[in-house]
Amino acid sequence: MASNNSDDLDQPGDGRPPGGGHSLNLYISGATGFVGCHVLAEALRRGHTVTAVVRPGSDFRLPDHIPHDRCRTVSVDLRSRTGLADSLAGVDSVVHLAAAKAGDFYSQFAGTVTATENLLAAMDEADVRQLIGISTFSAYDYLNLPAGSLLTESTAVDTHPALRDEYAQTKLLQEELYRQWGGRSGNRLVVLRPGMVYGPDNLWHALLGADFGPRFLRIGSKATLPLTYVDNCAQAIILAAERLDAEPDLVDGETINIVDDDLPTQSEYAELVSARTETPPTVPVPWPLLDVTSRLLKAGNQRLLHGRAKFPGIAVPDRLHARFKPLRYSNAKAKRLLGWQPAYSTVEAVERSVASMERRFFPLDELTPATTGRSDRP
Amino acid sequence: MRAHDRPQTRRAPLRVAVMGTGAISKEHLTYLAGRSPVIPDRGLVELVGVCDQSPAAAHYAADTFGAGRAFTDLADMLESASPEVVHVLTPPASHVGLATQCLQAGAHVVCEKPITTNSPDLDKLLEIAADHGRQLMESHNYRFNHGFRQLENLLNSDRLGPVRSVDIRIALPVTDADERFGDPNLPSPIHQLPAGVIHDFTTHFSYLLLRLTGDVVFDRMATAWSNHAGLAHFRYDDLDALLIGNSDRGPIHARLRFEADSGPDTFAITVRGTEGWAEIDLFQPYLRAVLPRPVGSQLSPVANHVINGWQLMGHGIRNLSRKIMQITPYEGLHRMLDETYQALTEDRPVPVTPAEMLAASRLVDTVVSDQFRF
Repeated sequence: MASNNSDDLDQPGDGRPPGGGHSLNLYISGATGFVGCHVLAEALRRGHTVTAVVRPGSDFRLPDHIPHDRCRTVSVDLRSRTGLADSLAGVDSVVHLAAAKAGDFYSQFAGTVTATENLLAAMDEADVRQLIGISTFSAYDYLNLPAGSLLTESTAVDTHPALRDEYAQTKLLQEELYRQWGGRSGNRLVVLRPGMVYGPDNLWHALLGADFGPRFLRIGSKATLPLTYVDNCAQAIILAAERLDAEPDLVDGETINIVDDDLPTQSEYAELVSARTETPPTVPVPWPLLDVTSRLLKAGNQRLLHGRAKFPGIAVPDRLHARFKPLRYSNAKAKRLLGWQPAYSTVEAVERSVASMERRFFPLDELTPATTGRSDRP
Repeated sequence: MRAHDRPQTRRAPLRVAVMGTGAISKEHLTYLAGRSPVIPDRGLVELVGVCDQSPAAAHYAADTFGAGRAFTDLADMLESASPEVVHVLTPPASHVGLATQCLQAGAHVVCEKPITTNSPDLDKLLEIAADHGRQLMESHNYRFNHGFRQLENLLNSDRLGPVRSVDIRIALPVTDADERFGDPNLPSPIHQLPAGVIHDFTTHFSYLLLRLTGDVVFDRMATAWSNHAGLAHFRYDDLDALLIGNSDRGPIHARLRFEADSGPDTFAITVRGTEGWAEIDLFQPYLRAVLPRPVGSQLSPVANHVINGWQLMGHGIRNLSRKIMQITPYEGLHRMLDETYQALTEDRPVPVTPAEMLAASRLVDTVVSDQFRF
């Protein structure tokens, strides 16, 4: 990828992001999270001004080299409406990344659904009318999708998610809130559904299998993984914000999947990661074996126990299929509507992630005045 | 027609509504929807509404548990859904106002603990309930757990002899940042109680202790409240309380322990009598009883080991089954609600009486007061 002068914060130029359009005042929730800090860096790199939402208990501090007129932090918790509308003053667009990924259903409901409900109400109050709502690949109805199918944005979402995990259930509720808000007059919305986002400290992830005592069950090694490298994903998110502002007729109301170009199979990806980092000892489990076993368990549970028994996630077909069913994926819509081209291949992304982990590199560190372009790229 | 305008026939199903859809509502709503894993659906209730200030939360609960309607305003729900019973499941500081509103609208109230933050407020609330001819009940759920009832039966059989000491110990990692109370970003309203998070557990300590000791007057007490983790949003994360009193059957010592820094999660109760002792854990249920056995005093210790070993294996298998069948330590709450609705449909007093609630509340007041701290 070509070097890009917009990485240099001392030279913001005319404030125009590369590729045209004007500099936006973006409000990024979840800005200190795994994806959020990369999105924050990408937004600054592309010449935008950012309001970064930081949770009150966070010790996050903006590095000194980030100009305060380009980025400010606001300390609010989206689960409460206190101070939310005020924090949105002057904002052009919201990039809503914040969500709860752990905890019981009610914790995730509060961190994802209530938080979104509060944010949307505050946006109404502050008259902010553009939203990039981050959803997830988990939204789709995998159980009823034939193996080998091409999963696209028109694939049905799960309308009976009671047996899915808490994350999928709450993200589906969140998407409903996005749609209700986006459907109201004057509001503009793009819903992005990233696949599994990987990067530094998140190379060995849930699509590879599941812990089983000291071992790791590798399930379905031949399946293609719907991956997106965190920097590629961050770029798509900011492009969506720019495009929604510049060409709303093109993207308003759209749902767009985000996956990279050269998607590896699970075994290819696992080998790539294992060659560069420490990974747990694995036991391969064929997908068909677990698929049949989980279906038998579900049928037995329904017939004999009225569905009241609860089994581990990988023994529940609804959850198993969402993680391991072999499918095909497309990023054609993202490329067409956003003009997105993933900057890093899978090999480059893994190597970049490993380098970041070794150097304890934070995304905003790239934005030193001395840095031009992505000079740390291998 | 509002609930209090209707004739006082007590026929099932009763029209029931829920105020507040936080985590504990799942247990109440599961029972009310007839989906309890421990109680069969007897058709005693009809869920007519749920209310929460969050529209998304109210609609989710209504859709998931088959409630008639979702509301964001209690007055609207009382007027429109006309419930005969309302479950108040909101943070403790809101209980008095919301319960009063429900009682005045002619509904019985089932309220999460602590029903009030002090016993004088409970006195007033009970007066309001009496004035309106309605019943008011605080959730004392753990006393309805199977294991606790086994312990009570053992006591009532007098095989342990008169009670001499009771030790109740709760260990929960409440200070962990990913736990409900440990989250520093948006501290739980529970932290506002006079004794903070542990105040929320003292109701359990109090009603369980009083069930085991009967009409004892604890006239000597020492309480140590600590904040071992030193988290700014915690008042305390540790309680060590010693209570000494007298019953008509002799002296009784009690120790109440709450600890956040030991594991695993524990809710252990040990009762020692003049003849034997027994212990239970409500989180990982088992009963171990050391009693005089009908094999003589020499062989009783051996018999106790063999019997307890055999029974512990059985508890292990049952607990695996409970885990698979999603029977949680809240099983007692389901049983409590079932007994409550059987009582209400038959126009009988609910199973947690005003006297029991007041006694527990007064004991809480004493334990959390400054009077006995060291």
